Amino acid sequence: MGIVTRAIRNISRRKMRALLVIIALGFSMAIMISIPAGVFANQEAAQDLTDNLSNIISQTGATINQTLTQIECSLAPDMAGYGFSRPDISTTSPGQPGQAPDVRVFDPSQFGGGAVSGMFGGGAFAGGQANPMNESLYTDISSLAGVAAVAPILQASQGQNVTMERMGRTYTRLVPDYVIEGIPLTLEVIDNYPILPTNITAGRNLQAGDSGVVLLSENNSAFFEAGVGDSITILDQTFTVIGIHGTSSVSDLTTLYMNLSDAQAVTNNTGFITSLKVFAESSSLVTQISNEISSLHPELTVSTAQQRLDQLTSLQTMYNTTLENAEASLGQTQALAIQEILVVISATSLIVLFVMLYTVRERTKEIGTLKAIGFSNTTVMSQFMLEGVLLSLMAGVVGIAIGVIAAPTLSSLLLPSVNLFGTTSGGGFFANPQPLSATAAVNPQLILLAFGASLLLGALGSLYPSWRAAKIRPAEAMKYE
Amino acid sequence: MLGKREVPALSNLNLTVNAGEFIAIMGPSGSGKTTLLNVIGCIDKPTNGQVLLDGIDVGRMPESQLYKIRRDKMGFVFQTFNLLPYLNARENVELPMEGRIKSKNERKQKASNLLQLVGISGRENHRPQRLSAGEQQRVAIARALANNPAIILADEPTGNLDSQNKQEIIKLLANLNLNQGTTIIMVTHDSQAANHTERMLLLKDGKILKEKQGLQTLKKRKTP
Repeated sequence: MGIVTRAIRNISRRKMRALLVIIALGFSMAIMISIPAGVFANQEAAQDLTDNLSNIISQTGATINQTLTQIECSLAPDMAGYGFSRPDISTTSPGQPGQAPDVRVFDPSQFGGGAVSGMFGGGAFAGGQANPMNESLYTDISSLAGVAAVAPILQASQGQNVTMERMGRTYTRLVPDYVIEGIPLTLEVIDNYPILPTNITAGRNLQAGDSGVVLLSENNSAFFEAGVGDSITILDQTFTVIGIHGTSSVSDLTTLYMNLSDAQAVTNNTGFITSLKVFAESSSLVTQISNEISSLHPELTVSTAQQRLDQLTSLQTMYNTTLENAEASLGQTQALAIQEILVVISATSLIVLFVMLYTVRERTKEIGTLKAIGFSNTTVMSQFMLEGVLLSLMAGVVGIAIGVIAAPTLSSLLLPSVNLFGTTSGGGFFANPQPLSATAAVNPQLILLAFGASLLLGALGSLYPSWRAAKIRPAEAMKYE
Repeated sequence: MLGKREVPALSNLNLTVNAGEFIAIMGPSGSGKTTLLNVIGCIDKPTNGQVLLDGIDVGRMPESQLYKIRRDKMGFVFQTFNLLPYLNARENVELPMEGRIKSKNERKQKASNLLQLVGISGRENHRPQRLSAGEQQRVAIARALANNPAIILADEPTGNLDSQNKQEIIKLLANLNLNQGTTIIMVTHDSQAANHTERMLLLKDGKILKEKQGLQTLKKRKTP
């Protein structure tokens, strides 16, 4: 009969007590691993967010460098761009040559709101979408002096309508599943100007003359459950997937690219576009052309590299603020987590301490007998230490089981939610700031930590009672009833 | 100690026990019988005086050495048997062997032999609560014999037994003394039980009041 078997038998002598103690300790252990799991999850989510932000900034910087000669033209976003129900706004017919460009007011059923189609597309900053404008504008602007090329673009979002209430009014808003971007696939434009994604991860890029084909993003590929060579249906028309693009300086993760005429046909917008990318012959001509466009077409929003650089600066400022908020919020969470873990460690040790003290008291006579028949102080102490540690290890297993199932709930109950946006609750670049999605999960390291903690706390909690047991004088212990 | 007053449990007590003797210590409650037994058995220490075991003063030895003397040279039998309730009869007997015999099988075999010696070989897998008081005391005696001790210290070994079991246990101890030469020092209130020993000591107020010869002396004289 070894010391371990004796310890197990002793624990199983009082089954109900052992069970209650194991459950109580198990919950402590579960809390102990759920808190770090929550902290790690928050840290990872914050890290992901900061990585994304810094990616956006570097991509934007790259885009600006590539497009120093580029001027963006679009109509100012209308409220309809939000997808709000505006039954009073109707669609007008395309304009005649020589007149101001006709404006077709955004039709929510076709475009929806909330599409962040790109840094500088109309409405990109407010979550709205550019209003379609007449394609004939292309001819007007192409003929301006110093203009090297003009690329007409059509963007349209597709997704689900979501009803929401704001200031007592009910609105319908479209949450996009994907954004269609139609690009003029002519050799002159796509070979010389950065309008196509560059990071092709599968298949090939769009080429001049392509029709009936789409270039999907990785997110689109998952959404349509389609890969290169597969056929997908967009608004009742079939397209073949020609390639998959990853993130690049001009691409968006939800944007799929196709020929402009295909995009116009499929979205029922033949003759309409949503923006124009105007390329100047040299960067020194950008301001002059931009002013000319603005004076000729005051209804257009015109942005140049300088304006985009200004926007980048404000984006960086917001990024820094967000980062500071994240750090402060994470700091607070970590401080609270440390306090809570200390409380749980103390509670766990105290539970083991009191249970083992009670056990020693209850078994005083047995200790006396063991010592009388020749057990050393060390053996007696080891016996009780082992019992405390075993009890704690069993609780550790229970705690891990509880933690694996309940870590998300426990951590969300015990830790404050991390606020990364500070007071920024909407608008600005983050038209739809997503809440920090941090799901606590117990990983192998935390399981090892729980076992280590069980071992340590079991030993710590039973140290004094075991020492007391070892120091009991056998003659005194024999009298104990 | 009685309140704040220190009362000597034993005083001016001089006792020599020869190897192979069977002694009964008698006396009224509080006379110091159990204290004397505990001091001899190295589970209590005298505040003054010497306890010589084979010429060595064990009264001054540290606990780190005393437990070995208790394990190797002493065997204890208690009035309330003091068996561990979560171990069966054989496992209880094996307990003192743990520090001395490494082989599990050897321990098991020896414990079975001892249980056979005390007459309960068929009950070795029973836990104490499933044994009668007489059987429990036999297990306790077997446990006391586990390490072939030189001395068995029995504190009221028949105190919780009926008359038949009393006689059997005393007979068992007397036979151990007679056949194996084990020194036995027994504390008892029972004069009938004490009669089976070689020497009876009457203690009062921590002092030996009287000494008397018992029946075991006659037996030993008869035995060649």
